[in-house]
Amino acid sequence: MSDTQWPRYEVFEQERPNRPFQNVGSVHAPDPELALLNARDVFVRRPDCAGLWVVPASAIFAKTAEELEADNTWKQTPVPADAPLETWLVFQKKTQRNVMTYVTHVGEVEARSPAEALAKALEAYATENVYVWWVVPERMITRSSPEDAGPWFTPARYKTYKLPTEYKTVTQIRQAKAQKRKSKQR
Amino acid sequence: MDHDPEYEEKLKEFEARIARGEKIEPGDWMPEEYRRQLIRMISQHAHSEVVGMLPEGAWITRAPNLRRKLILIAKVQDEGGHGQYLYHAAETLGATREEMIEALLTGRAKYSNVFNYPTLTWADVGVIGWLVDGAAIKNQTMLARCSYGPYSRAMVRICAEESFHHKQGKEMVIQYALGTPKQKAMVQDAINRWWWPALMMFGPHDTDSPNTPVLVRWGIKTRTNDELRQEFVNEMVPELHAVGLSVPDPDLYYDETTGNWVHGEIDWDEFWRVIRGNGPCNKERLAARRKAHEDGLWVREALEAYARKRVAGVVS
Repeated sequence: MSDTQWPRYEVFEQERPNRPFQNVGSVHAPDPELALLNARDVFVRRPDCAGLWVVPASAIFAKTAEELEADNTWKQTPVPADAPLETWLVFQKKTQRNVMTYVTHVGEVEARSPAEALAKALEAYATENVYVWWVVPERMITRSSPEDAGPWFTPARYKTYKLPTEYKTVTQIRQAKAQKRKSKQR
Repeated sequence: MDHDPEYEEKLKEFEARIARGEKIEPGDWMPEEYRRQLIRMISQHAHSEVVGMLPEGAWITRAPNLRRKLILIAKVQDEGGHGQYLYHAAETLGATREEMIEALLTGRAKYSNVFNYPTLTWADVGVIGWLVDGAAIKNQTMLARCSYGPYSRAMVRICAEESFHHKQGKEMVIQYALGTPKQKAMVQDAINRWWWPALMMFGPHDTDSPNTPVLVRWGIKTRTNDELRQEFVNEMVPELHAVGLSVPDPDLYYDETTGNWVHGEIDWDEFWRVIRGNGPCNKERLAARRKAHEDGLWVREALEAYARKRVAGVVS
């Protein structure tokens, strides 16, 4: 059966304006524009989204705390001679609680390679309890536009039937039980 | 992996991390068996979400009013999304989406038995929400705490959305149970057909579940099949009784000493028959998935052509 081998894009979501972007999962798509549309369909069926980013998974340099402790040979990777200095976004995972998001955007560094970006990130953003580090070249990010935010993200707000609080089942059961008790007493 | 001279030491540290409540993340060391068990569970779970769209999807065009139609569309759409979250989680372990889809379409992969039963009346939509999603939530709430980060996160996201599925079904069932005699009869009939398949969703008895000990030890499962099933029965029975519905189990009784509702024997022959592909709808479900995949081919080709043209600068 024929199938595609489309690349994987990591998806970052911003819950509210001025909040950091967080990784929520990934989608497959033939290009970034379609990845953004897929991300909207897969991850924004509920309210609380102000913006989306997608990044090809292959462009992300990631290390867990365990990997950093076990092996630092990645630091010796030479920077290619002609590599331009560019902006990298730094993401961290800082909790072991059961949550629905993974790494969170914490800041930027200027670097010429993934290894250099991570080394600089480790210097600039080291705090206690960072369990995972990601560095992402800014030029590889495709962002939802501010004009899209309205049509893409607001409809979910009016679909209140998707909220469990719309259903008064606790009251229904309580009333049914009371009714039953009454009929027994009669 | 057994040839790794440091295997024992790594395993000890891995188990210590889990005991401390840390999440194992992609890139971290893990035993091959942990990876294998997770790929098996997560991909089966993903397939269940995808196939799970079919029994209820069949009723979208026949929903009795606009509100119920909107609810059902949203629910089926959520299930498609849940399948996507889970395929993503399995991919972090090295499984590819293509392999997983291929395994589903060729009939090699398993998915939840419950979706191989037919939805005969509209009341089935409500009963699936209350019973089937209710049973699924028990499992999913446990898995939201699992030791593997990507699976845990997918489950947290799914649980948040799933509680709407459960409650819309419960609301519908209660309304019909307290409604006209015809409505009540319809919903009782649906309960009678779905009760046992829902109990089977928790899987074989603990004594017949060879994977359970290792899954508990590595923090993938924190509770056993029988524990979760008992909790489900204890919650369901009093509420069904409260709204005047009966449970189709002549052996069901309340045990004063344990506080448990003890159910009769599950028909395990039926369980294994359905798993092996001979349930009422196995062939129909697979045929529907294959058709959807084939019918979607032109869409995938069009998207690829568009992406190529964009790269070439033909379209902007």
